[in-house]
Amino acid sequence: MSSLYSTQGAARSNRMPRIAGAAVERARLSVVPVARTRAAKVPFVSLVTVLLLGGVVGLLLFNTSMQQSAFAATSLEQRATVLSARQEALASKLERLRDPQEIARRAQKMGMQVPAAPLFLDLADGTVSGDAARATLGARLPLDPLLPARPSELDPPATVVTPPEGVLGDQRGGGSGGGDGGKNKQDEKKADKKAEKKSEKKSEKKSEKKKDKKNKKND
Amino acid sequence: MPTTRPMPSHEAAARRGHPHFRLRVGFVLIAMVLSVFAGRLVQLQGIDPKAYAEMAAAEGMDEMVLPAQRGAILDRNGEPLAQSADGLMVVADPALVNTDEEGQEVDRAPELAKFLSGKLDVDYFTLLQRLRTESRFQYVARGVPAATATKVVDRAEELGFDGLSTWRDPVREYPADDVAANLVGFLGTPLADGTPQPLAGFERTFDELLSGTDGSARYAMAAGNKLPLGDNTVVEARDGQDLTLTVDRELQWYAQRVVRQTVQQARGDSGLAVVMDSRTGEVLALADHPTYDANAPLASDEADLGSRAVSDVYEPGSVSKVLTMAGLLDAGKVTPRTRLTVPGSLARQDRTIGDWFPHDTIRLTLAGVLAKSSNIGTVLASDKFEDGQMRRYLAAFGLGSATGAGVRGESAGILPDPSLWTSQTQDRIAFGQSVSVNALQMTAAVNTIANDGVRIDPSLVRGSATTDAGEQVGTDQATTQQVVSAEAARKTALMMERVVDPEAGVAPGAQIPGYRVAGKTGTAQRASSECGCYDGTFTVSFAGFAPADDPRFTVYVVVQNPRNGGGGGSVAGPAFAKITGYALRRYAVPPTGTPASDLPVEW
Repeated sequence: MSSLYSTQGAARSNRMPRIAGAAVERARLSVVPVARTRAAKVPFVSLVTVLLLGGVVGLLLFNTSMQQSAFAATSLEQRATVLSARQEALASKLERLRDPQEIARRAQKMGMQVPAAPLFLDLADGTVSGDAARATLGARLPLDPLLPARPSELDPPATVVTPPEGVLGDQRGGGSGGGDGGKNKQDEKKADKKAEKKSEKKSEKKSEKKKDKKNKKND
Repeated sequence: MPTTRPMPSHEAAARRGHPHFRLRVGFVLIAMVLSVFAGRLVQLQGIDPKAYAEMAAAEGMDEMVLPAQRGAILDRNGEPLAQSADGLMVVADPALVNTDEEGQEVDRAPELAKFLSGKLDVDYFTLLQRLRTESRFQYVARGVPAATATKVVDRAEELGFDGLSTWRDPVREYPADDVAANLVGFLGTPLADGTPQPLAGFERTFDELLSGTDGSARYAMAAGNKLPLGDNTVVEARDGQDLTLTVDRELQWYAQRVVRQTVQQARGDSGLAVVMDSRTGEVLALADHPTYDANAPLASDEADLGSRAVSDVYEPGSVSKVLTMAGLLDAGKVTPRTRLTVPGSLARQDRTIGDWFPHDTIRLTLAGVLAKSSNIGTVLASDKFEDGQMRRYLAAFGLGSATGAGVRGESAGILPDPSLWTSQTQDRIAFGQSVSVNALQMTAAVNTIANDGVRIDPSLVRGSATTDAGEQVGTDQATTQQVVSAEAARKTALMMERVVDPEAGVAPGAQIPGYRVAGKTGTAQRASSECGCYDGTFTVSFAGFAPADDPRFTVYVVVQNPRNGGGGGSVAGPAFAKITGYALRRYAVPPTGTPASDLPVEW
């Protein structure tokens, strides 16, 4: 258009109104009414709402379930710790039972002994190789160390006091002759003391016997 | 009521002040407050912002150590000699213990001490004292199995005791107590952060292999739970490796019990036994007495915490006659039937050599010299060696050099230097004096005879492992060396068989019913370092192998200073028979069924 105007610039003064008029005539545009297609608002709004709500609720649920599983993980971890501790305790108890010393102790309790040498039974022909007479000679193996010897300090020599002559006889005489209550009471007390001493001695002896038994067990 | 309404007076206007003035004051105040904020901002962001950022990050983060499990020490069959378990320490906060719910001070120490001493095996009075100490941290018990500790602390909480908590404290268990404790060693009380303190034995030598590397984990935590999408970094722990020994736990146990019985019956100072697989040089048992309980090492004497079999040296005595004979046979100087005229005593350059039994001039074969353990006969035979030949043989048998089996504190023993080697020295060394050995060395030397003249380095570790001194030890590193010919070794074994013969030899007690046994007794005077002389005490020993014609086990038993007057044959011989018999049974070695050696001992 601009090139058209510029080339025909000389004839502009007289021709222009006519041409322009025709152009205007040709170019007259009428306003067309806008055909507005109104989309329904409701589905869109509800879609957005659903998406938003769904997102929020989903996120919430997801978060909750994550949190839930975190709790579960913690409690399961704790349980695993407890169980592995228990497993370890049981394993160490088992190891204690498998200790060769423990096995030997139980075997000896059943009367088993370690033989001097092995014997071999040939399953094919039923012959026994080895020195059968002497191989069976078992020996009881002492499983525990000997108890340390009792230090002599614990058994001091008994102190023997010889009373001056006559003193013992006098007391006896007094005791048998006197009839008053005071002396009787004293005698009773003496008797009590003697009884106490006896019982003490007995218990000592018992404990000694027990010790002897223990020693024998250890032998 | 317009008349009563007060008009804004001049006073009121003055009180409110001028608006300009009020505005300025307001601005100044705001500016002051803002400049405080600005200053704080500069302080936070300008000066050391990293520390604050870290503090912010650490808020809500939980960092924990992922402990590496210490490797176990296993025997040749995979039985544990030492193993680790997750232990806990129980600690108390005495301040919290002695406070009731209202915050009042009460004395709950006796109650709690009573409860805990019953459950945790700790002393009541020690605990009571600790719980009454003015502090916030007191140990109650250490190294408690995790299950027990948790149970006890939970129960205490149920009973209303406050202030108890548990912390990680790994436990090292030695399920068989004193079995192989001399080799395995022990750990001391771990440091506060749970780092173990290896103090002795393989625990210390192979600590690097056993200990592993701790890992760590960082989590974002809230109320004791990990945040699901929070930061977390985990560096996995690298567990320690297991160490497998060549020792057989059952055999080791039996050997230890037999050695203890033998030492106690002979009223000796100490004793030891070594059992070696003749073909591989693997040590199946290395027993020491006295030894210690690895679970309670402090209860024993410090001198008993190692292995005397490797750390102590002594003069081997007549056992080393075997080595002399094998050398002579290999050099082709003698045969087992070589005839020797043995006088009652033999005057040499500086001293007179005698025998352990009084005799006139007797006529013994070389086999007889060994069977009767005649010093004079051995010296006469060893005269046939050329110069330096005997020393070369003994050095090849491994005398005078450490075995390198990996045991801490090994003494190499003494084989006199060639410059100090005189004919007198040679005389004495021929029957086992003036030379000192450790028991493992001597076992390996005798095993050379059992293994067709090939010496194998003794080993205690299966495979290969690096010691803390940087040496590689183990079965993979064991080297072999032909010391004497197979023929010489076989002939020596035949001569050694005569030692246990009831008529020809001196050690019938070492017989194993049904088997051919080759062995040699040793009864050596003990040199005292105090007086620099022989102090009148003895080392008695017995070394041998069975079956004599196809050896499987080489066993060496030594008892130091027996006070019952016994010699190698009567003290160590029966112990040898018991241990070897047990080994033959355990490994199901049948008797060879061949007739025993009948070499003549006299002519």
